Amino acid sequence: MRAHYRPPQQGKISQLIDVIVLVVLTIGALFVPLWLNMAGAAKSVAQPIENPTWEALGQTPAQAAKYEALGHTPQTAHDLILARFDYSFPVGALVTMIAVILLYYFLLLRFSEAEYRDVIAEKFGE
Amino acid sequence: MADVDITSQTMDGMGPHGTRVGLLRVLGPAHVWALGVGIVLVGEYMGWNFAVGKGGAYAALIACWFAGLLYTCVAMIDSEVTSTVASAGGQYTQAKHIIGPLMAFNVGLYLVFAYTMLEAANAITAGYLFSVVASMTGHAAELDQRPFIILVIMFLAWLNYRGVLATLTFNLVITAIAFGAIIILFLSTSGILGGGIMDHAALFEGHELPYGWIGVLAAMHFGLWYYLGIEGTTQAAEEVRSPARALPFGTLAGIMTLLIAATLTWYVCSGILPWEYLGDGVDGAVAPLFDAARLSGSTGLVWLLGFGTLFATLASANGCINDASRACFAMGRDKYLPGWFGAVHPRHRTPYRAIIFLVPIALIFALGAPLDQVITFSILSGLLGYTFMPLNIILFRRKWPLETIKRGYEHPFHPIPAITLLTLCGITFFAVFLGYGTQLVAMIGFYIVVSLWFHFWRYRFVNRGAQFTMPWPKPRGY
Amino acid sequence: MDLWNWLEYGAWGLSALLALYMLVDWLRTDSTYPEDVLTSSREGEIEALAEQHKAREAHHG
Repeated sequence: MRAHYRPPQQGKISQLIDVIVLVVLTIGALFVPLWLNMAGAAKSVAQPIENPTWEALGQTPAQAAKYEALGHTPQTAHDLILARFDYSFPVGALVTMIAVILLYYFLLLRFSEAEYRDVIAEKFGE
Repeated sequence: MADVDITSQTMDGMGPHGTRVGLLRVLGPAHVWALGVGIVLVGEYMGWNFAVGKGGAYAALIACWFAGLLYTCVAMIDSEVTSTVASAGGQYTQAKHIIGPLMAFNVGLYLVFAYTMLEAANAITAGYLFSVVASMTGHAAELDQRPFIILVIMFLAWLNYRGVLATLTFNLVITAIAFGAIIILFLSTSGILGGGIMDHAALFEGHELPYGWIGVLAAMHFGLWYYLGIEGTTQAAEEVRSPARALPFGTLAGIMTLLIAATLTWYVCSGILPWEYLGDGVDGAVAPLFDAARLSGSTGLVWLLGFGTLFATLASANGCINDASRACFAMGRDKYLPGWFGAVHPRHRTPYRAIIFLVPIALIFALGAPLDQVITFSILSGLLGYTFMPLNIILFRRKWPLETIKRGYEHPFHPIPAITLLTLCGITFFAVFLGYGTQLVAMIGFYIVVSLWFHFWRYRFVNRGAQFTMPWPKPRGY
Repeated sequence: MDLWNWLEYGAWGLSALLALYMLVDWLRTDSTYPEDVLTSSREGEIEALAEQHKAREAHHG
């Protein structure tokens, strides 16, 4: 059985630096897409209707009645009703995403396995 | 050992100086239920309706049930593993014992992020509610929401700081009220008590599936929001009196409660609110159950659902602080994060440094980022965690088959739940990609970077063999 | 100044008070107890303890 691994003691300053690194990375991951204006699924109105009526917005009388109960007029509800997501996507983007996810899991399982063998070897002896 | 008592605050016979400061075992199954359902129930009061926006009302119902199936698998798998690995840190500790340290580090971060982001989302919603109530009661100017957002986070952090029993008893009461409010709203608007105001057929006419079937897929993204966080029950493992019994019981009772609440919520809201309004959680229905109550014309229901919404956000933020701090604490204890986090308050017996550290983090997100962004980050971290679970259970059963370790609960039909869960996770990744692809890649990029950081730098501080603490035999194949 | 303005100030004040409480208690705790007592919690140990405790209870009862 080989000698047990003895981890070094970590000093206060070094602990603090580690925490700062993690916090900066986290906030980066959240806010960088926002700053680059690449975030948020933009819903948009493809074909605006001038002088909208409930019929023109595709609402039946029953549906229109609900909107009126909620305090909307055809004008104020125009964007709400007509905005749609665009689900078309370039195939390249999908392939990129799949590749990134697979790479991530490959990395994760590969390194974990190597570290895990160490743990088991030390815990249960060789 | 004669004058030593483990319940004693000063002399429990362990650790240096005769004292061992650990978490207190004071919780019962009802607290586990309250922790699980409390975190999630807010998803019924806000957020799930983005699924309606992504695919229409029917798509949201299909997503609700498929996500329900996903979470039933999650609950079953989680119950089995956690009835064996009962430790604060939940899935993090499971990963450490079953897959390996790097996986554990990632899972621990998923937990901290999913819950801290959800906490921020709850505080934002609570702030919004205060502003609505202010304008309803005749406040002319725009209310400054910031002090209320900060107060919610501070108050709940303080409650968590002071002790787990009071924290989760508080959660039990407000969660029960919020759940009761949904039932009462259903009974009084569906025509069972008094006149009904439901009109599904007329509201759906012409808008059955506005995006076609791809909308159903896309809706899965926010379908998770009906249940997100139920897996947090495992974080209480070091504080329940009998984990092997209470955790599976509380978790499975929780998922059943949520399936009922989610379906009722969909039924009530889609029968009262037009789908375009319901599906827009920013300019339309921010709090859909509350809006449904407003259209019912009953002042009593408006107040009931107003309080229901507030209580649900509080219960959720409260549970999130509890879970995020436990995960952070467990990682600090093992030196995955700086050891400073692994401290327990000697009197209150809570991981007080982790609780305090997460307060400013939650405030940054609550005051600085838009709601759907915060929700998406929470969902993504959750989703990565659910993708880990099937790998976890498959390896668990392979390394320690049923006869080698006694489990408090054995989930049936293995490996069907694991495969179902993995498939549903794949579908949900695609659903998130439809519309939020950039965030998905940014998030995974982040996890790749921190994984490298952990493997090549941080892991040197971790004690290799000693972190494996379960009294298990050697795993098969090693 | 109506009720809600007062409530805003109240919320700021109460938040500050709670933050101050946690801050003071945190610093006091850290300076009262040695670090190795505060971080003496170990994963898994509690399991063994709880069972021991149960056995003791059964013994007494």
